[in-house]
Amino acid sequence: MSDPAALSLAAAAQALRARHVSSRELADACLARIARWQPRINAFISVEQQPADEGVPLAHKDMFYRKGRVSNCGSKIRRGWIAQETSTALSRLDAAGMPQIGTLNMAEFAYGPTGHNEHWGDCRNPWNPDHIAGGSSSGSGAAVAARLAFGALGSDTGGSVRIPAAACGVTGLKTTWGRVSRHGAMPLSHSLDTIGPLARSAEDCALILAAIAGFDPQDPLSSREPAGNYSLAKRKFRVALSSDWIERHADPEVAAAVLAAARDLGATLVEVEPPEFDTLSAHCITVMQAEASAQHARWMRERPGDYSSAVRSRLESGFAVPAAAYLEVLRLRAAWLERFCTATLANADLYLLPAMKVRVPTLEQTGPRGGAGMPALLAEVTRLTRWVNYLGVPALVVPCGFDSLGLPIGLQLVGRPFAEAALLAAGHAFQCETDWHCRAPAERSI
Amino acid sequence: MTKQWNSETIESMLAAQGIRLAPGRAEKIAAALNAATLSGSLPLEFESDPTGYQLALERCKAK
Repeated sequence: MSDPAALSLAAAAQALRARHVSSRELADACLARIARWQPRINAFISVEQQPADEGVPLAHKDMFYRKGRVSNCGSKIRRGWIAQETSTALSRLDAAGMPQIGTLNMAEFAYGPTGHNEHWGDCRNPWNPDHIAGGSSSGSGAAVAARLAFGALGSDTGGSVRIPAAACGVTGLKTTWGRVSRHGAMPLSHSLDTIGPLARSAEDCALILAAIAGFDPQDPLSSREPAGNYSLAKRKFRVALSSDWIERHADPEVAAAVLAAARDLGATLVEVEPPEFDTLSAHCITVMQAEASAQHARWMRERPGDYSSAVRSRLESGFAVPAAAYLEVLRLRAAWLERFCTATLANADLYLLPAMKVRVPTLEQTGPRGGAGMPALLAEVTRLTRWVNYLGVPALVVPCGFDSLGLPIGLQLVGRPFAEAALLAAGHAFQCETDWHCRAPAERSI
Repeated sequence: MTKQWNSETIESMLAAQGIRLAPGRAEKIAAALNAATLSGSLPLEFESDPTGYQLALERCKAK
């Protein structure tokens, strides 16, 4: 076998079962690539030279706790902090034969959409290290894209799985709120936080999701909705989209790629009015700011100087959210969810749109030296993801092309609550007809 | 009705919560609060509360 790290998770698992490859060979292939890529993209925080269990190695954002091990959460404040318990998601991956080869870089406390991190170093895009990897699960997107692990765990509160998936050209699933237990995962905003996989294909995401989904008595907000069967069988889909909105608002290269991909889905397309992205996004921000600031209140009082200025600013804003406004937005949530499902999806199974309306920006454009246009550009990066978290519905991002600079473009499909199976089947059908997900960044320029 | 958040009210409100603002932040927060709106919101039934969301997830789930 030439390079086992080039296999998909599904193919690697198959090869392992057939004894065409060993767990050690899979791990060694990843470790060799990590050694070559890490200096360029800074995707890993720690690396296991000897993964604890047999199986296909994955990696996880450095915010999933394992008893006795360090979880830094991308921060200075939790640098060296040792977890007292193991997250349910990691326990379930262990049981499913998916050992962990390391912990991955992330935005500080998962509170940023780009992958900048002044405490641990910025994570960089493997397609072009001058560009962002996306955040907050920056290392998860970069590691999967560079074939340093066969898949990764991320979390998504406002787009933190989908933005890195889109920016790095991998497949990412934002799960329904409550679909995956958050026990033992660092909290940011309990009404919005979700956990999901990033991998090389929808098929690989389905394997990871099947391992981690399901009710967990240790997370009382996890759902009792049955989980575990994510069939990728071909079926007919009706997909809603708002072509006119995409053409008018998205970058022309993004719009062209996404609308071409819509035609390649093999689905019946239904034109609809777009959801109220900006209103729903504003509601998401209200909830996120209030809950994140409450979560961080003690550290914000005792050691505010230990946050980066960007995260400190976001947390400061949350202390000014009126309690009544926060609760009003949460009271409205059910009505907005019902409107999305009965209006936008009245005649469709899924809603299609870009993952990001802009092309993948550079680290400089979105960092401290980004200038006066930086806040507006950051808002554009998250404009099409946050509304999904407010509704709490699932969404899948798949790569659907590259821009003229060679950076990936991501297509986003959004479903009803617990429609993960439909999303994964639609993504798989698309990936059976296209090869965007098979492309990997070249090593020649490392 | 014009909203009246300004840097002084923001500084007082956060100070009352024990939060020291970084320099220049109060004005930005005040501007954001003055611009914030619930416009576009749906009519809200008097009886609705945040827990209704979990029931809506069940009603709206994929069949």
